[in-house]
Amino acid sequence: MSGYAEGIIVLLCINAIAAMGVSLLTGFTGIFSLGHAAYMALGAYTSAILTVKYGLHFLPAIILGAGVAVAVAYFIGVPTLKLMGDYYAIASIGLGEAIRLILENWQSVTRGARGYPGIDAYTTLPVALAFLVVLAIFMFNIINSRFGRACKACRDDHVAASLLGFNTARIRVTSLMISAFYCGVAGALLGGFLSFIQPVMFDMMKSTELTSVVVFGGLGSMSGCILGTAVITLVTELFRPISQYRMLIYGAVLVIIMVLRPEGIMGNREFVSWIKDPLGRRSK
Amino acid sequence: MATLIQQIINGLSLGSVYALIAVGYSLVYSVLLFSNFAHGGFLVIGGYICYASLRTLEMGIWTAGVLSIVGAGVAAILTERLAYRPIRERTNVTLYLLIASMGMSIVIENIFVIVAGGRFRALPAVIPTSPVDFFGLATTSAFDLLSLAAAVIFLWGLQLFLSKTRWGLAIRAAAYDLRIAGLMGVNVNRLISIVFFVAGALAAVGGIFLSVRYTLYPQLGAITIKAFVAAVIGGLGSLPGAVVGSLILGLAEMLTAGFISSQMRDLVVFSLLVATLLVKPAGLFGKSVSEKV
Repeated sequence: MSGYAEGIIVLLCINAIAAMGVSLLTGFTGIFSLGHAAYMALGAYTSAILTVKYGLHFLPAIILGAGVAVAVAYFIGVPTLKLMGDYYAIASIGLGEAIRLILENWQSVTRGARGYPGIDAYTTLPVALAFLVVLAIFMFNIINSRFGRACKACRDDHVAASLLGFNTARIRVTSLMISAFYCGVAGALLGGFLSFIQPVMFDMMKSTELTSVVVFGGLGSMSGCILGTAVITLVTELFRPISQYRMLIYGAVLVIIMVLRPEGIMGNREFVSWIKDPLGRRSK
Repeated sequence: MATLIQQIINGLSLGSVYALIAVGYSLVYSVLLFSNFAHGGFLVIGGYICYASLRTLEMGIWTAGVLSIVGAGVAAILTERLAYRPIRERTNVTLYLLIASMGMSIVIENIFVIVAGGRFRALPAVIPTSPVDFFGLATTSAFDLLSLAAAVIFLWGLQLFLSKTRWGLAIRAAAYDLRIAGLMGVNVNRLISIVFFVAGALAAVGGIFLSVRYTLYPQLGAITIKAFVAAVIGGLGSLPGAVVGSLILGLAEMLTAGFISSQMRDLVVFSLLVATLLVKPAGLFGKSVSEKV
């Protein structure tokens, strides 16, 4: 396999891991986020600093990086997610900006806006694939568990969910923390893949891209979001020559999907049910 | 002392521009209960219309100003018609509106990147920026006082519109409950168009002042994040709250920039947001947001 194709597959795995995280939050719990790139940045920088400066093995470094993202998610989720309304969405934009500012200005630790070079290229194809498979299995189990159904209940009707005895605030925060974990892992893997990270890589555009992928694949479908990642990553590669239109296309896709088919390409169905029942008669 | 007064005037002036943006955003939120992220786009549209009419068509500032206010208002109505109405009529899931508004904000920003180019543009010197002696206490710029005055006039106009006219009454009813306002015979679609026109027009005024203060570029709309934060601090959906929140934010930002470091100002904004949510989640003037079950 050529290096280029291998690179695209690794990138696809990384994007899929991040997209699964966002999908759990936006598609399954119904919380809109515009700052998930911040969790990726936290994962990427933590694991980069741990491996380069302290010589830690990359596996614990990735897990610790994701752990930092989870801690920040908890800190930001508790005050904002117990409120219904767009509080988290607005706070997440602020979080994204704040993390980027801290990374740019904390020169002694993060080396500022010039970026953090010299990370070991630990994200090889097998590593990325292994992470994707393990995390995907874990995620599919989450969404079919009691907790996953509780998330969907919070999304569809939080009053009814709390009447049934679910602690909706806690479920929403937990969902955010899991989602931050996935994005943290994806960020750490991205650092290991590119060997170089920079605060500007984790800006608002990256967050928007994550959300677009999930919306495109289908809110409420985990396999849809993996499919969406594959389509959008490949399309981005194919249309590199006209990259100045990329953001315009992302934006237009978001609006058009919301207007015409808000459930995205897969709707709220998964591959397995689609193979068993291609026309979706049973689900109706 | 002079620096302190100067920074306070700067802060109030910046805060008043935020207030123009935050009030429009809050108005839309109070009626439709979703964060219109495309609000920053209206601001950019207003700024570019003003720029084009001043530079290319060589109009005066008054015609250019009116043109950009009307233009941004119409753009806001069109945005609502094209992107939000089809969703609104089919479902009441605000998440879909949120995502569509995010999409519209990206579309508007990138249309300007492609059509007008990403470079920074300066408006011609139409608004005086000469230094003014402020009652012998401090020296400040005429621009700061003018933008403060303009914001006061427009917000006062909005207040009159909301409290004295029939449509103002309808908007206040819709902010209480849109569905019941509709049942009482208010033409909901026209009401929402009016709300969007007002929001777009106020954003255009803010856009003109912001593009004089900084410069004009397609990503200028990102500054609405500050206005969103101000609206949350004041209480989402509350108009007086949006104004007070904006002034607090403008002051906090300018005092940080003046006395600590200008890189810290965005961090201060964010800390204020988190602190408000922790201490008083509904904001200063907000209705209680948690539904008790």
